[in-house]
Amino acid sequence: MGSPTTDADTAIAGHLRRAMLDADPALSRYNPLSRILVFDQFNSGTHGWTELIGNHDGEGNLDTVDDHMRDFRPPQLSSCTFFDVGTHGAMTGTYALKVATRPVTGHTAVAIRRLTMAKKGRVQFETYFTYKAEAASEENGASTQAGAGEWDGNIHPSEQQFGAFTIATDICDDRGERYHTVMRYQNTDLDNRFTRRWMYPVVPEPTPREHLEGKVKLGPTDDFTAPNPQDWKPVGESQSFCYNEVPTKVNWHYLRWQIDTEARKNIELQVNDRVYDLRDVPVPVYEERYDSLDNLLNFYVSARTHTGVRNFLFLDSVLVSVDW
Amino acid sequence: MRQSQAAVLERYTVLNGDFRTEPYETGWATEARWFVRVLEASTPDTKVVLTTQVSPDGLHWCDAECPEQVSEGEGMVSWPVREFGQWLRIRGSVEGADRSVKVLIYLTLKD
Repeated sequence: MGSPTTDADTAIAGHLRRAMLDADPALSRYNPLSRILVFDQFNSGTHGWTELIGNHDGEGNLDTVDDHMRDFRPPQLSSCTFFDVGTHGAMTGTYALKVATRPVTGHTAVAIRRLTMAKKGRVQFETYFTYKAEAASEENGASTQAGAGEWDGNIHPSEQQFGAFTIATDICDDRGERYHTVMRYQNTDLDNRFTRRWMYPVVPEPTPREHLEGKVKLGPTDDFTAPNPQDWKPVGESQSFCYNEVPTKVNWHYLRWQIDTEARKNIELQVNDRVYDLRDVPVPVYEERYDSLDNLLNFYVSARTHTGVRNFLFLDSVLVSVDW
Repeated sequence: MRQSQAAVLERYTVLNGDFRTEPYETGWATEARWFVRVLEASTPDTKVVLTTQVSPDGLHWCDAECPEQVSEGEGMVSWPVREFGQWLRIRGSVEGADRSVKVLIYLTLKD
């Protein structure tokens, strides 16, 4: 029979665990909870991140997929290669995961990672990311699209051509109660003016079932997370990132987002040197119950362009950890 | 184990006239194969001419050294591509002013 665990034992175990994480250069840049669920380094593949698509009928007819959920674009393994320098490469090795929109105002590209919960509790999503608008060319005409301004030698016109990126979950507990937790970085508003703020929706995302029931019908470029701009609320102080002046220089940013699936709440968001307390950010729940989604735990990331220029969200790596 | 990836570049898209698929990054792969499924065609003899294009930067494109493909009516055409560099796309054209096709376009990649 062993002796009871003391506070000192717990502290030593914590130090030992951190020391072991720090001994691994790839993990030492992360702050995982007690159990690492996934650690996706995109230099070695897509690791289960795939294109989100809406649901289809029993015959596999993709015409039955909602218009706004059928063109979220396949994620790409990107070497972050640009016209001016060639291959930039990722933070870890050569390849990052790239989520790329079409050059169509309002188009959204979404990549999703599908898991389930073995237990309720704290869940943390961490990533190193960057975002870019596509550089201009004669063919894409980006330099004359909405948002393009004068180049002042510091702020590049393309920076105002990046709309927003979003990190979100799709969660359903064992009683069929389904909800999303969502954080969006809005770089510009719909008129391509800098807003540079974090936002959250106050309504749940419209679902294929709600469309089938005649409750919603969205167009191809509607904002599928929350279609009405009035349903997005800012949280905390605005935050500027290191876009690094031009669309071809890649600087990686740290993001850590923690939620609680027991309490069904947001906890906090850390992005580089800022920590946002999210405990008062509401989590809208669907009124109806869902079958076939027991213990669903999905993560998605999206890029949304507010002009006719492709927008890119790059992830070097993702770590999801839990306290189960 | 070798890496592989399949991407759906167009899904039930109705095409007419000239078109180009979205740029897709392929720098990690050694071999690629296109699959173009024509689900519906305006007429059984509606032709689509398909040309593979390559790019060093995702912005500027030229035709690859790869035979032009032609699909006719409904069905699936496929062709392989190698030594394609960093990006791939299709430049295509539906022949006939009043003709259209509804397609699924897959790009499959392997290292």
